[in-house]
Amino acid sequence: FTRTKNKKLNQKPPVCFRSKMSLSNRDPLVVGRVVGDVLECFTRSIDLRVTYGQREVTNGLDLRPSQVLNKPRVEIGGEDLRNFYTLVMVDPDVPSPSNPHLREYLHWLVTDIPATTGTNFGNEIVSYESPRPNSGIHRIVLVLFRQLGRQTVYEPGWRQQFNTREFASLYNLGLPVAAVFYNCQRESGCGGRRS
Amino acid sequence: MTQVTMEEVWKDINLASLHPHRQLNIDHEPVLSNQTPNKSIFQDFLNKPLNQEPPPSSSSTHHGSLLAPPATVISLNTHFIDTHFDESAMFGCFGKKRGQDSDDSRGDRRHNRMTKNRESAARSRARKQAYINELELEIVHLKKENARLKRQEEQLKMAEATQHQTKKILQRSWTSPF
Repeated sequence: FTRTKNKKLNQKPPVCFRSKMSLSNRDPLVVGRVVGDVLECFTRSIDLRVTYGQREVTNGLDLRPSQVLNKPRVEIGGEDLRNFYTLVMVDPDVPSPSNPHLREYLHWLVTDIPATTGTNFGNEIVSYESPRPNSGIHRIVLVLFRQLGRQTVYEPGWRQQFNTREFASLYNLGLPVAAVFYNCQRESGCGGRRS
Repeated sequence: MTQVTMEEVWKDINLASLHPHRQLNIDHEPVLSNQTPNKSIFQDFLNKPLNQEPPPSSSSTHHGSLLAPPATVISLNTHFIDTHFDESAMFGCFGKKRGQDSDDSRGDRRHNRMTKNRESAARSRARKQAYINELELEIVHLKKENARLKRQEEQLKMAEATQHQTKKILQRSWTSPF
């Protein structure tokens, strides 16, 4: 079946050009293609802790819409309170992962978060909208960027067809300093398993 | 664009039934190219019983120009005409949509589905692997932290114990001579 093989889309995860510090090729963000579909390869430098209720979000965790109804608690690291950070939350698999023609959907945007604090101390310029995927298993990505200064980031006109890369470029946010993602499917989904 | 009635068309056909089809074509080109006004008429025509030799064969003559050589179509029996009727009569003017359907697009659809399934399977594997890798990283992290905390606990215990010991032992320091 060489004919079909040639037409196979690129499935290998993008190689993260390895400096000593950047993400390894085995990193969940790379394997899960968050790096590639949403972000450029980067190096983690700031702690990012996202918690829905009692559940801390680890990469690839499966959450249902009922578990992510309300905005999570987000705590960030860093040291200097004079540094401000922006948190972006997007769904790159809209409307469905097999046909993401509306990539990405902006769920939440919080700016001016001082280091060592959390989203409660920031400026929520796009309110939290809980994920409600209808078709397939969607990745929901939370990305943290460092701002050049305070009040230098503005909200887009709409949520759909958001582009994190362009957004970062537009507001001089540079590469991400942290990111985490979880998987979300509709409440009655089969978990990607059929039997 | 001349509005030709069905009757006139049939009259022409009957008269020219023995002529080569090309002549027919040229005469009735406008009718062929603009099917919309005649659509209802054709459908009425289709509802008629198909055993009537002249009309079916004539109609297939019309469409014959779009499909196979009309000479053969005229000579074919009604059975053949029946099977081709739906396709050609309804869609002949719009190209070979239905004709292609059975062979090419079935294969295309299957191929599409296979590709989609392959992609979906790849996503599923990636999802699984990403989660596993994350768990492995967590294990490493937690083990380290566990070791660190245990060491800390040990040190604290030791420090507390020695302090305790020094307190318990009564030592003679200064005593009176008597």
